Amino acid sequence: MSSHAGRVALVTGAGRGIGRAIADSHAAAGAAVAYLDHDRELAETAAREAVAKGWQAVGLSADVADYEAVVEACRKVTDAFGPVDILVNNAGISPKTGADGRRSPAWEMSPEEFRRVLDVNLTGAFNCARAVLPGMKAMGRGRIVNQSSVAGKTFCDIVGVHYAASKAALIGFTKHLAGEVGPFGITVNAVAPGRIDTPLMRGTASEANEAARMATPLRRLGSPEDVAATYLFLTSDSASFVTGQVVDVAGGWLMT
Amino acid sequence: MTTTTHDFSGRTLLLTGAVGTIGREIAKRFLASGANCVVTDLDLDAVTSFARDLDPNLERVLPLKHDAGMPEDAERVAQAAKDRFGAIDFVVTSAGLYKDAMVETMTDAQWKQSLAVNLDGVFYTCRAAIPHLAEGGSIVNIASVAGHRGSFAHAHYAAAKGAVLTFSRSLAVELAPKIRVNAVSPGLIDGPMVQNLLQMTGTKLIEQTPLKRLGKPEEIASVIAFLCSSDASFITGASLHVNGGLYISS
Repeated sequence: MSSHAGRVALVTGAGRGIGRAIADSHAAAGAAVAYLDHDRELAETAAREAVAKGWQAVGLSADVADYEAVVEACRKVTDAFGPVDILVNNAGISPKTGADGRRSPAWEMSPEEFRRVLDVNLTGAFNCARAVLPGMKAMGRGRIVNQSSVAGKTFCDIVGVHYAASKAALIGFTKHLAGEVGPFGITVNAVAPGRIDTPLMRGTASEANEAARMATPLRRLGSPEDVAATYLFLTSDSASFVTGQVVDVAGGWLMT
Repeated sequence: MTTTTHDFSGRTLLLTGAVGTIGREIAKRFLASGANCVVTDLDLDAVTSFARDLDPNLERVLPLKHDAGMPEDAERVAQAAKDRFGAIDFVVTSAGLYKDAMVETMTDAQWKQSLAVNLDGVFYTCRAAIPHLAEGGSIVNIASVAGHRGSFAHAHYAAAKGAVLTFSRSLAVELAPKIRVNAVSPGLIDGPMVQNLLQMTGTKLIEQTPLKRLGKPEEIASVIAFLCSSDASFITGASLHVNGGLYISS
């Protein structure tokens, strides 16, 4: 499949889990992909394995919360492949610092933990969009897809208040940005996954995951590939008239 | 870049309202992806001629007359799809009726006709198809931005489309995990249906659309193909807006 031939994609949090699946699916579809991750080893391994498959890939390390580091990473992507057409804001953290690997309740959460989650999950998305938008605007095209969550739309007992707030904020960010940049041929959408089987998820208690599975009409957890396929759709021409939207990939869970 | 393509070979689509602007593009897209297409419409001559244009020998396309508001028509077309192709994999309800009427002067007949086509027809078609649906199948009901936002001079249409959204979610729960059910809500799509509206409102609505243009019917068909494909295998009970940003909702 070469639906994305000639496109340059930057995927944050691409070292593992959903981000890795998104980056891999774009590379397999013909895009040149920058695998960005806070963890350099993960990013470089993922990119090396992509190249071994005959895909175009480069591994980069940056903390998305650090604007200067993001700008520097984007410069490297542009040097390697040209200006970024597709930005996937996937990097995110969901600390579970409470008892038994559960979320910290709001009344016990440290302000530093709250701030760090917003810095990565929300400000990180702004930093990356800020860095690539001038190039997209100049090209008159672009695709930005932000990783939200059903937890950003309704109460979800598994995550912490910081994560829920950051994912809700990404929805507002998506909708507003879509309105601003639509006239330049750039679409901006969000994906709201339900319970997806990832390393991040396995950090939580298994009973919570089993409860989510039973509450999901499709009676299974999602896979990273399920989510990646929706990203590939939203960044393709198949979704050329879709912008400002939040697509639930949740197996019917919560039906937000 | 091209749109992603799917392999629907050996699978069967039941499509209502097939000669509408959007319906035609859905049929073309699924046929090109290898599916068998049972194409139904109120206008038998038009749908037969359309079917022959697509597939001169009618090998993979079966045109049928179908009044969406008639339950016995739904039963007949679903049975015909099963008899001809063995099972139904995809159902797309594209039949719709969009007429201008203000509530204060709307007649009972206008109200009932709109609800019959836009809402009852979805129920009848889905109910009739369920016994013949293959596991892994997918239903996509076409709603509208009007079903979320309401619509001036189209309260009957908007009410019916809003009901289609909640009908779809309910059916998604009933048919899970074997069958997925989703809705697509088009915004302003270029075609005869929006001509009156554009004459009344001028360029205002296009200016309000972030992408600054009308949608193309192919851009609805491509979203429906995605929702029917295995790429959307974890998406059910969802509604997908395709409106260029004209209406940005949850």
